[in-house]
Amino acid sequence: MIRFENVSKTYKNGSPALKDITLNIEKGEFVFLVGASGSGKTTFLRLLLREELPDKGRILEAGRELTELSKFRVPFLRRNIGCVFQDFRLLPNKTVFENVAFALEVIGRPRSTVESQVPLILDLVGLSDKSKSLPGELSGGEQQRVAVARAFVNRPLILLADEPTGNLDPANSESIMALLERINRTGTTVVMATHDKALVDRMRRRVIELDKGEMIRDQVRGVYGIDESVAI
Amino acid sequence: MRVYFRYAVKETLSNLWRNRMMTIAAVLTVAVSLSLVGSALLLKQSAAQASSQWQQGTRVTIWMEPTASAGEIANVQTQLHNLPIVKHCQFRTQAQDYVEMKKTLPPSEANVLHEDQIPTKFSCVPTVPLDAFTVQSTFMHQPGILTVTAPEQQIREMNHVIRILQIVFLALALVLLLSATVLILNTIRMAIFARRREVSVMKLVGATNWFIRIPYITEGFIQGLLGSAVAIAAVTALHIWYPLHNEFQLSTSALIGTNIVVLIVGVVIGSVGSSIAIRRFLDV
Repeated sequence: MIRFENVSKTYKNGSPALKDITLNIEKGEFVFLVGASGSGKTTFLRLLLREELPDKGRILEAGRELTELSKFRVPFLRRNIGCVFQDFRLLPNKTVFENVAFALEVIGRPRSTVESQVPLILDLVGLSDKSKSLPGELSGGEQQRVAVARAFVNRPLILLADEPTGNLDPANSESIMALLERINRTGTTVVMATHDKALVDRMRRRVIELDKGEMIRDQVRGVYGIDESVAI
Repeated sequence: MRVYFRYAVKETLSNLWRNRMMTIAAVLTVAVSLSLVGSALLLKQSAAQASSQWQQGTRVTIWMEPTASAGEIANVQTQLHNLPIVKHCQFRTQAQDYVEMKKTLPPSEANVLHEDQIPTKFSCVPTVPLDAFTVQSTFMHQPGILTVTAPEQQIREMNHVIRILQIVFLALALVLLLSATVLILNTIRMAIFARRREVSVMKLVGATNWFIRIPYITEGFIQGLLGSAVAIAAVTALHIWYPLHNEFQLSTSALIGTNIVVLIVGVVIGSVGSSIAIRRFLDV
């Protein structure tokens, strides 16, 4: 589903963001991306969103070669990728329903699809009763669930999450994690960058650790810290 | 497609309304500049029409000195007769002119003049209106000739003035068109800025570039269109309620032609302004 081949990326100010990364993520995998701030996690996700191109190497994603993808086709790539951020990125003047519906409307889905899909997905994230609320009236956890609903409403092949629990208390983090797991069980590949040690340790999923742009660990059933890692 | 159409219309109208002050400024600037363009075009066409009308009846008048001898008059007459560019000439004696003058001038002024002070003249029609000038220069300094007048000269002067006016109008219009484009550009930029959250979400979920862009392009297009509509009204009003001298009056088709130019320029300005804004501020 995702394959990096000797990918390097250096920013203009000279600081290397990723150094010679090679990895493979299969369809339906759940991958944690861990590492300190500035280790290259965000660059990794930006490359997957095709917001940036690597300086060297190839990236294959959802059957496309990103380095050869024309600008014109980028939107069609993104329709296969859902994305959730730490700061939710909801539209404050639209209701929960409208926020989720927006993701379908702007890719030209007909009204009938919007009207059938949005209630389904709101039901999945447990916010059916809040569909007429504005984001400002919701708690952080609820807002993030709306963001997950928006990312998943178009049934993407891949869901990227950049610190989705970064702004949430443990209870809400749990519910978001449970939601991502549930989405993962539908066959969606999930890549989640996180700092949440407890979460990673408890989930025992594949962990990829980056440090100063280098991949220093790729464990199939890993934990957050290298010192506590279980050898496999 | 219908979904998108509704979306684009809704977005465009709400953007226009949200930035209504800027929109009004942009529309008015477009309107003023295009009114100038339209007036300059009308003026040009009027001038061309008027000068061709005047030239139809061009006459060169060769005024003889009142003291000119019969020989000198006969000499001029022979020359005129032999000149191929002169169609025909009419000789007016002092007596004829005196009678005519007494009719046209009030008695108090006419009584001051005597018959022998009135110059005799040849009133000539050149074959081609433009030859009037040649006739004039041929006879200007011959003995016994007081002066030669040709309306051609006045037409030229008039055309000269009109040309300067036109250049001034068009230069002003050009400056205003430029500022109109910048104003439209700025309005669109503000609209994009106000919607940056929506735009970033749209990019994220995979809306195509044109889906994102079109509402902003139509916004600029509509601003240009509104501006040219106001300008067309102004130019038409000028044409109807402020007619110049009859010889300047243009036909309706000339007015329509001018208005079409105004419309096209307005729409182009709007589209160019918004395209630049999109290229610079909407990096999709």
